[in-house]
Amino acid sequence: MMTLIIGGSGSGKSEYAEKYIIELSKNCRKYYIATMQVSDIEAGKKVKRHQNMRKNKGFWTIEQPLSIDEALNQMETSDQKNAALLECISNLTANEMFSGEKIKDGDEVAKKIIQDVKRLSKGLKHLVIVTNNVFEDGMSYDETTMDYIRAMGNINRKLAAIADKVVEVVVGIPVIVKEGK
Amino acid sequence: MKLVIGGYAQGKLEFALQRYKEEKWAVFDGRLPSEKQLQELCKQKKKVIIYHFHNWIRERILQEGNPEEEIIAFLGKNPESMIISDEVGNGIVPIDFFEREYRERTGRILVTLANQADEVVRVICGIGQKIK
Repeated sequence: MMTLIIGGSGSGKSEYAEKYIIELSKNCRKYYIATMQVSDIEAGKKVKRHQNMRKNKGFWTIEQPLSIDEALNQMETSDQKNAALLECISNLTANEMFSGEKIKDGDEVAKKIIQDVKRLSKGLKHLVIVTNNVFEDGMSYDETTMDYIRAMGNINRKLAAIADKVVEVVVGIPVIVKEGK
Repeated sequence: MKLVIGGYAQGKLEFALQRYKEEKWAVFDGRLPSEKQLQELCKQKKKVIIYHFHNWIRERILQEGNPEEEIIAFLGKNPESMIISDEVGNGIVPIDFFEREYRERTGRILVTLANQADEVVRVICGIGQKIK
């Protein structure tokens, strides 16, 4: 089962996603797939603190900033007993686009990420994906950023289409966008 | 306490005044009323709307205040108030540190208020959806 959770900055989407997956996957081994690349000491401390917080909630953390499907290789068993929380598509997309020597094309990156997520989902009982609403500030950015925003839109649409459930988190409140059968 | 949120120019205030027209409201734009004003409003049996609440948060951060504690204290004394705020988190994360902090803190404050609110309404195209 795949769930897509979308919200803006500070919307409470992460807290909701954690609660949601804990509720959903009581008998599963729970993984947290972290995409943030640790660039400085401050970010490193933040990541460490979050890891500790999640450990108490029974999550195993996998750092996977690129090629998200490879997270499966780091899981104990691959017999559909696993659940994973992937956080988040906006970091993953930025990593895939901007961390190579050359900036990659948004369309290519979107295709790759959708494929990787599908593969990841197949190896899991539950996959919960957190993504970001980066679409409503009415600003025009440079062409690279616009390409990034389009790629994000593209990925969100495709993931929402294959997801069993889509939830928007608004001021911490879940608003159901798509409900599974 | 009631919380009304939504994007820029979605008709939040108009919606709120229409929906809650049985009660008398005094609108404070981007600021909290003073003690004196509150006493006056109490006599007139008017309740407070804090409009453009996000602007108040921004101003308090700029003045190095503590908007998180200040608004909780205000609502503790004035639990019948209504807060109307733009949603500001639905965009590209700004490069500027202050802008980032403003968006993040506004989001967190609204989550806290939504948690405490009796009613949360999200307005889009002038239409309100009760989400709590």
